[in-house]
Amino acid sequence: MSSEDIRTTAAKQSDYSTTLQSIACGGTGGELTAVDSVDGKIVRIRPYNIDSKYTKEELADSLWELEKDGKTFSPPMKTAPNYFALAYKNRVYSKNRVMYPLKRVDWEPGGDPDKINAANRGKSKFERISWDEALDIMESELKRIISTYGPYSVLTVGEDGHRESKDLHAGGGMHSNLMSKLGGYTRETRTPDSVEGWYWGAKHVWGSGSNKGLGMIAPPQTGYNSWNVIKDITEYSELVCFDAGDWELTQNYGSQFWSRLLKYWEELGKEFVIVDPFCNYTAVCHETMKWIPILPNTDVAFDFGVMYVWITEGLYDKDYVDTHTIHFDKVRDYILGTDEEGIAKTPQWASERCGVPVHTIKAYARNVAKKVTSHAHFSSGSVKTPYSHEPGRTGAYKLAMQGLGKPGVQQLHLNASSMAKARIARSTSAPYSSINQCRMFYPNAQSIPRTMVAEALQKGEIKWWGSPCIVYVETSEQFQEFNYPAKPEAVLGMMRAMAEAAGMEPPTEAPKVEKVHMLWSEKPCNMNCWDGGFNYQDAIRTNEVEFFVTNHQWLENDSLFADLVLPVTTCVEDNDSMGSGMIVAQPHSGLTPPGCDRVGESFSDFEIACMIGDRFGVRDQIDLGMSVDEWIQYGFDQSRLGEEISWDEFKEKGYYFPKLDENWKDLPPGMRQFYEDPESFPLDTPSGKIEFWSQALADNFPDDKERTPMARWIIGGPAEEGWTHDETLWGERCKKYPLLVTANPARFRVHVQGDDIKWFREIETCKVKGPDGYLYEPVWMNKVDAEARGIEAGDIVKLYNERGCVLTAARISERITPGSVVVNKGSRVDPIAPHLDRGGAINLISPNNQVSKHCKGFAVTGYLLEAEKLTQSEYDELKAKYPEAFARDYDPAIGINYKSWVVD
Amino acid sequence: MKAFLIDLTKCVGCHDCQIGCKDEHCDQAWMPYAEAQPEVGQFWMKVKQFERGHAPHVKVTYMPTMCNHCENAPCEAAAKNGAVYRREDGLVLIDPAKAKGQREIMDACPYHAIYWNDALNIPQKCTGCAHLLDGDHPISVPRCVDNCHVDVITFGEEAELDLEGTEVLHPEYGTKPRVFYRGLPKKFIAGTVFDPDAEEIIEGALVTATGDAGTFTATTDSWGDFWLRDLPDAEWTVTIEHGGKKKSVAVSTVSEDQGLGDVALC
Repeated sequence: MSSEDIRTTAAKQSDYSTTLQSIACGGTGGELTAVDSVDGKIVRIRPYNIDSKYTKEELADSLWELEKDGKTFSPPMKTAPNYFALAYKNRVYSKNRVMYPLKRVDWEPGGDPDKINAANRGKSKFERISWDEALDIMESELKRIISTYGPYSVLTVGEDGHRESKDLHAGGGMHSNLMSKLGGYTRETRTPDSVEGWYWGAKHVWGSGSNKGLGMIAPPQTGYNSWNVIKDITEYSELVCFDAGDWELTQNYGSQFWSRLLKYWEELGKEFVIVDPFCNYTAVCHETMKWIPILPNTDVAFDFGVMYVWITEGLYDKDYVDTHTIHFDKVRDYILGTDEEGIAKTPQWASERCGVPVHTIKAYARNVAKKVTSHAHFSSGSVKTPYSHEPGRTGAYKLAMQGLGKPGVQQLHLNASSMAKARIARSTSAPYSSINQCRMFYPNAQSIPRTMVAEALQKGEIKWWGSPCIVYVETSEQFQEFNYPAKPEAVLGMMRAMAEAAGMEPPTEAPKVEKVHMLWSEKPCNMNCWDGGFNYQDAIRTNEVEFFVTNHQWLENDSLFADLVLPVTTCVEDNDSMGSGMIVAQPHSGLTPPGCDRVGESFSDFEIACMIGDRFGVRDQIDLGMSVDEWIQYGFDQSRLGEEISWDEFKEKGYYFPKLDENWKDLPPGMRQFYEDPESFPLDTPSGKIEFWSQALADNFPDDKERTPMARWIIGGPAEEGWTHDETLWGERCKKYPLLVTANPARFRVHVQGDDIKWFREIETCKVKGPDGYLYEPVWMNKVDAEARGIEAGDIVKLYNERGCVLTAARISERITPGSVVVNKGSRVDPIAPHLDRGGAINLISPNNQVSKHCKGFAVTGYLLEAEKLTQSEYDELKAKYPEAFARDYDPAIGINYKSWVVD
Repeated sequence: MKAFLIDLTKCVGCHDCQIGCKDEHCDQAWMPYAEAQPEVGQFWMKVKQFERGHAPHVKVTYMPTMCNHCENAPCEAAAKNGAVYRREDGLVLIDPAKAKGQREIMDACPYHAIYWNDALNIPQKCTGCAHLLDGDHPISVPRCVDNCHVDVITFGEEAELDLEGTEVLHPEYGTKPRVFYRGLPKKFIAGTVFDPDAEEIIEGALVTATGDAGTFTATTDSWGDFWLRDLPDAEWTVTIEHGGKKKSVAVSTVSEDQGLGDVALC
């Protein structure tokens, strides 16, 4: 900050303008957060007392209370914004904000390979241009691409957007919205990122699950909503197993209220166990947490060892298995070794693979069987690994064998985190109103899964199975084959279905569908948030991509490889409405007027689509002729909020907590009805029951040796033998790359968000200062592995496999299981050269292949690499070889930044 | 007189207190209370973290630390021209105008809670957010207190705080801190007891630590785990007994906590 940015006189109350925001790192909103500003500049961001505008009596019918053993728990009057929201001033005023439209200095529009300089993407810098010039480029390039190849050559990337909590102004499909008015587009589809194992595995065991498609369990009869799971756990569970995810961070992305819930459960005397390669942030700060260290992606072995104990000691619910499940015998025979394979999955067998002592596997089995146990899953860990469908399925098996749905035996997950149902709630996750114009999960005539974009660009054709959506899809859609380029008959079929759904005349001829030559991203972080990042960089650096434009708030990651970058507002700057839909103490609906002046020349994605729409005469098809204020009121009018509060009162107060359903306490919790009466409340599996072995998988993919009809211990092998992966300690590649990496989200980032928050970066565990003064991403290593490699704390460490090398710095800790390292995903890329990065963005070296042959989701944790100290002479060599990369501006507070990449 | 109470047993390590402090003071001056804090590098509220034990018995203690607003403040004594002053409510403040160039103020603090601002040539530290307490702002409590969502940090009249059983940091310095702690870390010895022949954990084993500092006991739970907590720094003989079997090991908690890992009882 320059000196004129420093406020030198204390503000007075009358100078302040305080707005309420719903800042979160996800699209579903966060807890009410107050932003105090003076003269259009943010002074502070803080929690808010929800009884400021309503009396406690007025709020009484909107707030829940849990009770157990005379101890009660209810939402506090003061909100608990997520830690990220409280530091959001850093994001709004980041030195990494895109201030103006930027053009890469050596890229020219027109598609001439000699003027694209594709190989310089990620290397050459940017220059400031005006919005007029930027819109000219957008107009001329879109016209050129459409006239040369057709509109389907435009790939709209990033339907999940920047992940800020916005509504009307949200990104992640405004480009698709616009392109749909220009004749079509190819849609890049998000793959089931947080839920891979459940999506590809557990759905074949217990059905579509939450949101009719995510794969974590939910009853079909309630519209796939699991209500009152937390209430059920509070009242009945004795033990909670944290299977994946780190409660104190993942679960807190919308609110930090969850720390209080855990404290309450501790007060009630519940026990907790965390099976994780890392003694995670939840395990270390609560005395009650039992940590079981495990080698990454060996959970399937552990689970089979546990099930072996249950089967041989009769410690499972046999009646339930008889009445609620089918084909248990096949899994039982496999575990006991009485099948054709003949290998008993004893605790000894399991221990040799997962590294957990035999006695601890047995103790886990008996504790879970003898205590009323629920399982909490908040993404991360084994469900994001190679072959993640296997741990997804064994996770489902464990619950099935202990009577899923029985009082206190539930699966707790993001979409089952509602504390109590409000009367007008649409689901356990949806906000009360929505005016979002970008997140239309409509199908499209041609699409590419995000995990396969690089391959599509490189090979020109790909094939996959599954629906292009991650929510609202049924299990059987995983059996459909899709192609890129899309086959004409498939395109026509899809377009006819879309037209019919929209009540329009179905087309009779397929449009011209060509390959992709332009990428337009509203989520420019695929290289370090998704998989195979270096390979993605390679694909972008080819002449196939004639134009790559990104809309984004911050100059980072994929944008460094773009030709044009358009500056976007943060959620605090927009006039919008939001609120919160899930993972907060209690969802609210709220207005979020601008909390500060706009930064630079930024516009929201909605506004950018409107501006480009102007150039093509289609603006009114996007904004529908309404002003932003009219949109916001329209959002209220089309919601059910008006049943409880008038627009005038809502507008005056700025937020509202809908009343709880009168009978909310009586709603059957989680899977209770299935437990009590499986015939009347069946699952949506083919049999209506839990299927330990899937006939549907056997019928559709009879030759798939990776995802067979039931979960197995799969180690993969060489590609020439038909394997997708060799990423375990029992194959060939481990001889060269013997460490397994855990790459979960970080404590002080959410995925790729917030790596530039300077107040986080200086927290001891957040970054490691190298001998050169650069703040490197930490690689957490056990001292055994570090000493074996001559690595000491603070050393710069090369992490590599055949996919490339990223630089990190060592943090030696007892919190890591020997044989594994932890590098949190999502630090910003800082390219030195192709396949060499200084930023420590670990997903750059994650597998290029997907989950398995028929499952094209990502595998971004639990894979192999090697660690080696970067010596001073190697460092000097790199610096001499790549002087430009090492000469880029480096800010001591936020590291690489806007100035690193923009020429004066 | 005001005081802070910091309850470490409730802390989850979110750093909200540290972030709130920075949100209030970095690049924002609240004169005459405080000049702007540099964008990074100073920690008027600092969460220290201590990794303790050995796998799989590992815990982290998070400890928010700040200016102790000492009754006998060494910084006050070291300051010239009354550059450090005590308010009626007990908060100790540095007057940025008068403190210019006075490095002695920073050097005097045995807790290292005062930082030097090179650009402004002044010492800086926690003000207890006195500008907020004095009114005319949207909130009237210190930011670290307001931001804490698990009630670790409370601020108020000393007489109204429950200070029973609390401690201060380094009482031996003799500065009479007005920041009180509950749950300051003591040492632990932990382990998992198992029978190597049966490959089973042992539940209900009696674990006794004896030494000059006293005798402490624990019983292994259904995971085979024992946790001997709140131990003083000392040398111990830890004896594990179950089913007629007995094992003794020498353990020291003088310099660190001890996670003994899997302990075979045979």
